[in-house]
Amino acid sequence: MRKKVLISAVLLILAVGAALVAAAKTGDKDKDAPATVSPATNSAQDDPMRLEGEKRFHSNCGRCHMAPPKFSPRMMATIIRHMRVRATITDQDTRFILHYMTQ
Amino acid sequence: MPKLMKPEWARFIMIPALCMLFCVALRGQDGSTAQGPDSGATQGQTQGQDLATTQGPDEHIKAIPILTGATAYYTKVTAGQVQDQPWFIPVLLVPIGDKWLVEARADDYPTFERGANGRFQEVSNEYGLQYATVDYIANKYVTVVAGRFLTPFGMYNERLQPYWIRALQGIPLTYGVTSNTGLGGMLRGGFPAGTQSVNLNYAFYFSADNTNHILGTTRATGGRVGFFLPKYRLEIGGSFQQLLEGDHSHNVGLHTEWQPNAQPFTLRSEFAHSSGIRGSAYWVESVYRLSQVPHLHQLELVGRGQQVFADPKLSAAQRSQVGKLGLDTNQGDFGLNYYLGRDVRGSASYGRQFAFNKDANLWILGITYRFIMPLGPTGGVH
Repeated sequence: MRKKVLISAVLLILAVGAALVAAAKTGDKDKDAPATVSPATNSAQDDPMRLEGEKRFHSNCGRCHMAPPKFSPRMMATIIRHMRVRATITDQDTRFILHYMTQ
Repeated sequence: MPKLMKPEWARFIMIPALCMLFCVALRGQDGSTAQGPDSGATQGQTQGQDLATTQGPDEHIKAIPILTGATAYYTKVTAGQVQDQPWFIPVLLVPIGDKWLVEARADDYPTFERGANGRFQEVSNEYGLQYATVDYIANKYVTVVAGRFLTPFGMYNERLQPYWIRALQGIPLTYGVTSNTGLGGMLRGGFPAGTQSVNLNYAFYFSADNTNHILGTTRATGGRVGFFLPKYRLEIGGSFQQLLEGDHSHNVGLHTEWQPNAQPFTLRSEFAHSSGIRGSAYWVESVYRLSQVPHLHQLELVGRGQQVFADPKLSAAQRSQVGKLGLDTNQGDFGLNYYLGRDVRGSASYGRQFAFNKDANLWILGITYRFIMPLGPTGGVH
């Protein structure tokens, strides 16, 4: 019994360690390119829809959690649909936020 | 939420499975990030122009299934009793077509305590299905939800309860005032309330009685209405729930949340009152992110105060039945969260609980890892 618990605990610690290393790498990358700032060109930064999306992201999503890492548009489409239902985000807000998050 | 003791063998499967999931999730994240922000930007710009022509995002981007969720490891010391709890909370999201979404969240956690022999041993291993619903986005005003759902009462249960979101790991005492899950149908949505300055959000549901030992729910109906002012980042709302069995009690609640635009600060509060045996309770929580302080911008300070006003007419049996809501209680908590990247968060908190003959110190220390991985090809805009 004790041995099995010990093995499970070691495995968990290893997993958390791997997660920390991965997160640290992600964090380094994020320092230069935070999710709230588009790495795209000036034209994208001037995109009014993107700016509006950023504003609505902070108003809606930022109430509960930080900006997530960048995901592919297809993943974001799923996430935003989930959050539309879960957080009762308006249809218009979801469009702007999805646009912003896929920049 | 009903919990079930797991069979003996299951505990030895959970943690190795959890480790494997970590590895797969990390690969999934690398894969999605590796696509590069530049390609996403190009796609996003094209899509943005399309969006401006009033088409919905799902009509341009094919959503894919996702496995997300969190794992956590927490050590809790409650009145001197040490408990270790590894958690595993998977969330499955399966979009179907443009309007449908199947979503489910489960949790699984064993609890280890120091036994009489001085050694840590597993005292329970529990799991539950928090929700499993089929959602249909009927139009921009209404989403139809069917299945096992989280009760839309206040804001904590639906929005703030997940481990990777909650600011303090200890749950508020209002959490037990209402039943937290239902089985049935719900209509919900959010839309501008005649002006862009105010968004109205709502959820109304009916839940059937279910005596299944895993999916047990109470026959009840209720709802929540909230008004959100985006400009001021302020939400005010109210909730109600009417039990249609048992003592037929009704519950009412109020909630509010405010995030000033100029400061990385959040103030939120919830109040719940039951006409039955569960009394009343409220909590007020503030969160301040030190985002402007060099070297500490990943640190978050959290404080919460709460009070429970128990029904003074409770019998001893009823007190036992309602647990923490059975005694007048005052509690204050202070916590720190430190974000290691965007997906890993270390948390520590101390709380002092004042209840008649049951004052206690509450310490919690732990780490949470949020994972997300695609269950399908991630590339391309359709």
